[in-house]
Amino acid sequence: MEPNLKTTGFIKGAAICVVMLALVMGYSIKQPSAQSADNAIPDLAGTWDGGFRARPVNGPRVPWGDENFPVLNERAVAYQQAWEEIVAPKYDCQPASSPAIQYDPYHMEVTQWPDRVLFRYEKDDQLRTVWLDGREPSSVDFGIQGFSVGHYENSELVVTTTHFVFDVAGFDDYNGIPSSSQKLVTERYWRDGEDLRVTLTVADPMFLREPTSYTTRWVPARAGYKLAPYDCDPEAARASVRFFPSKYK
Amino acid sequence: MSIRRWIAAAAAAGLVVMIAPVIAHHASAPFYDSTKRVDVEGAVTRFVFRNPHAFLYLDVTGANGQTTEWQVELGAPVGLRRTGWTPDTLPVGMVVKVSGQPSRAEGSQGICCVRMTRADDSPIIDGGRVQEEQPTR
Repeated sequence: MEPNLKTTGFIKGAAICVVMLALVMGYSIKQPSAQSADNAIPDLAGTWDGGFRARPVNGPRVPWGDENFPVLNERAVAYQQAWEEIVAPKYDCQPASSPAIQYDPYHMEVTQWPDRVLFRYEKDDQLRTVWLDGREPSSVDFGIQGFSVGHYENSELVVTTTHFVFDVAGFDDYNGIPSSSQKLVTERYWRDGEDLRVTLTVADPMFLREPTSYTTRWVPARAGYKLAPYDCDPEAARASVRFFPSKYK
Repeated sequence: MSIRRWIAAAAAAGLVVMIAPVIAHHASAPFYDSTKRVDVEGAVTRFVFRNPHAFLYLDVTGANGQTTEWQVELGAPVGLRRTGWTPDTLPVGMVVKVSGQPSRAEGSQGICCVRMTRADDSPIIDGGRVQEEQPTR
């Protein structure tokens, strides 16, 4: 029986289509997840202004207001009662830590590399590295800024930071709230139009009864803005301390 | 005076006395009393133009003829530089007028959050503004 040429052609055509479709689907599945809609890499790179143009400057009730002021345990309250402004190590040029450094009213620069995201803060010349390559911290990775790992998720950069050292003003120096080596800070960065936004959540069972969060933003720095060296000077940092009327003699 | 001259005069006045919005925070409150005001005029003896805050030291002669030192807290040089300030902006011997919040500690002579001009009331920086500084911490 002679084969039906039309049927044979149809079958061949269909087979080719199936193969091509399978190839396309297989190719799509094998693409890096960063290219999919869920895990698209947001463009966070640039120089950002976190000063007065973007938000209220930090203070006793900023960013911690009635809605999100941390619920302190007795240990934290005891520290707070002993606290005086001049205890803050910033008066000896010690940089701010998370969750305060993100709210300092200065500029920062974000650089995105395949294996890491770099946050460079103009205040105190701080550089935070967020590792995207799956590495884990070791026992020598404790520090003021801790150890940060991250990944992209839902067009956001999700950063988790651990390995902080104890800091007597590590949560907030205005209110005298310390933080411990158990501090865990999670940040989610995303673009909102021209702005860069973050929602930051901090947990620290040594001092806080429950985690607390704030959301804030940066606006693009003015054209041509370059971060300048800060070079904190201990004499200048401490010059106003003698004006503080201490309750301790 | 023609309208054009009025406009020019108003613009010039704006350059000389432009009070910036008071920024609502309390970073300086532990050290300085925002409910009080002090005015001094004196000669620069030292200008420390370093982060986190620049400090200016003045010799001020009081009504009793005695000269004492006052310490004036200014903003962060990292920001001041962008408005034209340098370590040479306030040379030793330059006379300035300073108005601001007095320091809290008993017997201390500090001023913060100041409005500062040259002795003739002109801006410190040529073409600059006269405004209250509110250093952030």
